[in-house]
Amino acid sequence: MTTIDQSRVVRTYARAARTAHEALTALDQISGDGDFGDNLRDGLDATVAALDAGPDVSATAVAGSVFLDEVGGTSGPLIGLLFNEVSRALNETADDRAGWTEGVRSGLAAIQRVGEADPGDRTLVDALVPALDALAGGGSWTNVAEAALSGASATADVRARRGRASYLGERAVGSPDPGATGLALLFWALARVAEPDARLGDVQELVPVPRGPEQTGTR
Amino acid sequence: MNHLFLPHTDPVGLALRGFARAHAPLVQLHEDPLFVTATAPHPDRRTALVSGGGSGHEPLHTGFVGRGMLDAAVPGRIFASPHNRQVYEASRAVAREQGVIHIVKNYTGDRINFGIADERLRADGIKVQRVLVDDDLATESDRTATGRRGTGATVAVEKILGSAADTGLGLDELALLGREVAGASRSLAVAGRAHTSPSRGGEAFTLAPDEIEYGVGIHGERAATTIDRPALDNVAERMTTELLESLPSTREGVLLLVNGLGATTALELYAVHELVSQILEKRGIDVAARLVGSYVPALDMSGFSLTLTALRPGWLDLWQKPARTPAFPATERFA
Repeated sequence: MTTIDQSRVVRTYARAARTAHEALTALDQISGDGDFGDNLRDGLDATVAALDAGPDVSATAVAGSVFLDEVGGTSGPLIGLLFNEVSRALNETADDRAGWTEGVRSGLAAIQRVGEADPGDRTLVDALVPALDALAGGGSWTNVAEAALSGASATADVRARRGRASYLGERAVGSPDPGATGLALLFWALARVAEPDARLGDVQELVPVPRGPEQTGTR
Repeated sequence: MNHLFLPHTDPVGLALRGFARAHAPLVQLHEDPLFVTATAPHPDRRTALVSGGGSGHEPLHTGFVGRGMLDAAVPGRIFASPHNRQVYEASRAVAREQGVIHIVKNYTGDRINFGIADERLRADGIKVQRVLVDDDLATESDRTATGRRGTGATVAVEKILGSAADTGLGLDELALLGREVAGASRSLAVAGRAHTSPSRGGEAFTLAPDEIEYGVGIHGERAATTIDRPALDNVAERMTTELLESLPSTREGVLLLVNGLGATTALELYAVHELVSQILEKRGIDVAARLVGSYVPALDMSGFSLTLTALRPGWLDLWQKPARTPAFPATERFA
């Protein structure tokens, strides 16, 4: 039985991305080129604008098209692949849990094919793998969000082997990967909509703005 | 301080409109999204060839669009990967019944954006195979997962695959051939002066007058070693020796590309070519074909790269077949 409104999930995610914008930008300035906060916020804002203009469409399908066609960088379009797969899977079943599980499973597979990243490489994959495990394992939606968020946090401890941060070596160790962090907020938004009464932290506490460069562990 | 003669706003779009105007009979420009297609590809072609990458390496790839080489090229901003939507739309525009080959230089951004386009094309029922070009010996390392960069060998791959595609070869056969050509190719580059930084002007990095960057990348990636400038014949000897050590053996001879990095004169390139030819001759290596000129530059960097491809049976014929593109020179002989 479908009860989770996709449009509310995407709109909640858009608000979370706006709240986390400063933190995501700061994280990406440490490990990338600093545009991820903009890309995520702008992509979700454009999705919400499209939903306001034509509300009778699948919100995840709209997000997929916007992120694939209009968002720059590399993480943005990869998130577009995930939205496309989630949209397709939700279309094929009336069961929310089955749809999200299958969508995240095939979205993760597509992202891994394209990005050639394994778990532990400090990429989006590090939020998706624990989220999928929790989805498939039957935990609550709040458990799924917690798994994604802690997977993203754990990227602070590893040195990048893929992506732009791989050129920085040790210099990016100590702060979490912005892409994994931003993607974990999708599952935060999903839990907020599915289980509004559950205990789950606010975006500000879950994704704090990193302190100055002394935290980045140069040398 | 030197600046490039380019406007700050949309330099690539402006240059591409000028390029398309200059070569109107051969190529057509598509503006949204940005890509270039061949106006008269060979009618027997069953598999389309699409390449692309950051701008600043012209004539690569747009100059190789036309009959006998690429069906489409997808330019990114200067030194930046094209967006997946450009690759996706260009591939859809030129796809043949067998599908599309993507010729991709090995850079993370290009791999990911071409990869996303692959996913979308497959979802549309269009078959895609990738040929990854990774010839730059300077970046061979077991310590990273990124592998060797793609540089000058792209020209060999695009030409040989282009001729092969015109014979009606299928997707899988072409992909195999492309990977073989890329695998049999190695390059090395040296620079005596950096390119002009496109964003702020001036040299992108500085070298002392008596230094050269040995193993420089085509985006100004610094080499592992900056060395005192040796005599030119010593540089040529060292580069040729290292290339030969990592090249597969061949009975068909080698293809030699002496490539300028942007600000190197033809006089210099021909001098380098003569030195390298003498070195190869001395070692009994047959140079079956050669190309001298600035085909894969790094904006206006002063320097050159050498690419060797160990030929296999049939490849020389494919290299020498005529092509009609803005940049590839005539190879056929007068009867």
